[in-house]
Amino acid sequence: MPRIPIDMITPGMCLAEPVTNENGLVLINEGTELTETIIEKLKNMNLQSLRIKGESGPSNTKEEMLAALDERFKRVKSKPLMITIKNIIKEHIEELYGSG
Amino acid sequence: MDRVDINTIRSSIERLNALPTIPNILKKLLKLLENPSTSLNDIGHFISHDPIITTKVLRMINSPIYGFPGRIYSVNQAVILLGLNVVKGLLLSVSVFDLMKKVMVGLWEHSLACAITSRLMAKKKGLKEPEESSIAGLLHDIGKVALLLQFQEYYDSVMNLAEKKGVVIMEAEKEIFGIDHAKAGEWMAEKWSFPKNLIEIIGYHHRPNLSKIFIVETSIVHLADILVRARGFGFAGDNSIPNINDNAWTILGFSGNDIKDILKELEESMDAANELFIE
Repeated sequence: MPRIPIDMITPGMCLAEPVTNENGLVLINEGTELTETIIEKLKNMNLQSLRIKGESGPSNTKEEMLAALDERFKRVKSKPLMITIKNIIKEHIEELYGSG
Repeated sequence: MDRVDINTIRSSIERLNALPTIPNILKKLLKLLENPSTSLNDIGHFISHDPIITTKVLRMINSPIYGFPGRIYSVNQAVILLGLNVVKGLLLSVSVFDLMKKVMVGLWEHSLACAITSRLMAKKKGLKEPEESSIAGLLHDIGKVALLLQFQEYYDSVMNLAEKKGVVIMEAEKEIFGIDHAKAGEWMAEKWSFPKNLIEIIGYHHRPNLSKIFIVETSIVHLADILVRARGFGFAGDNSIPNINDNAWTILGFSGNDIKDILKELEESMDAANELFIE
């Protein structure tokens, strides 16, 4: 889920997690569609960034992540330990996206 | 571009603290650290005296870089809890943070991820002061900051050379500067009176087998650097991944699952940390 800096939040975006105060009390529920007024209030609360639902933001797909991993390891010499490390990272990325 | 004479490099790095880009507060801090009789109290006083530093220190201390359970509200509490070495390192990180963001896009995120990964590894190895590994992870590439501050044009050619030849950044650094950022960092750390363990880790983080006293701590930062690049957090000047040192891997003895546990926790911490440090 992309985390968007508060300055880039625009009306119509949907909260992917609730906004809480310091004690954990929910101020705005998950799923709330943000309006100008709410965004203004969030800015006044000094929040730095929010999790937003949907495609807005720089989240990569699993395929993109794995292709980038291959690219990064392209120049690494074929040392067995480096292959071990690459495989661990690959498994880790796959788990990030669920096993499916 | 010609090579830079090695003595020129060393003296430029040792004169870094006179640069106008170095914030005054860092200059004052360096004076304080230079003095061997500086006590924990003096440092606490120094922090409390400056509201901006106080805020920054508390924000950093309560971030996933250190991973303390519960919240630390006051500088006094922090100073007592952390001890002299960690407080020194903490102050240096707070001061270097802005410089790091200024000189290379992505270097801060790389360092942040290395700090968290190093701490998680230190914890897994049962080291007594995992916070010291946080600081080492955060500051391991400080030599890049030094080289960039003093020789930006040359560093541009270093990055181009690394890209063109497909080599890791330190190979290109050695070609242009005759030394790599680890050596530059070691000089800077010595000059700035960093704690001894930090000097050694910074100097040997690409050759942990040469580390004399802090071989486990150095191996931790060495592996953290590789994992963070492999995972793709941040940018450290090149798109390659340095080779793992076999000895470091053996000393740490992590299983695949150990590393995956660490990476999982890193993902969550990076989310929280990025939120804290977006400015």
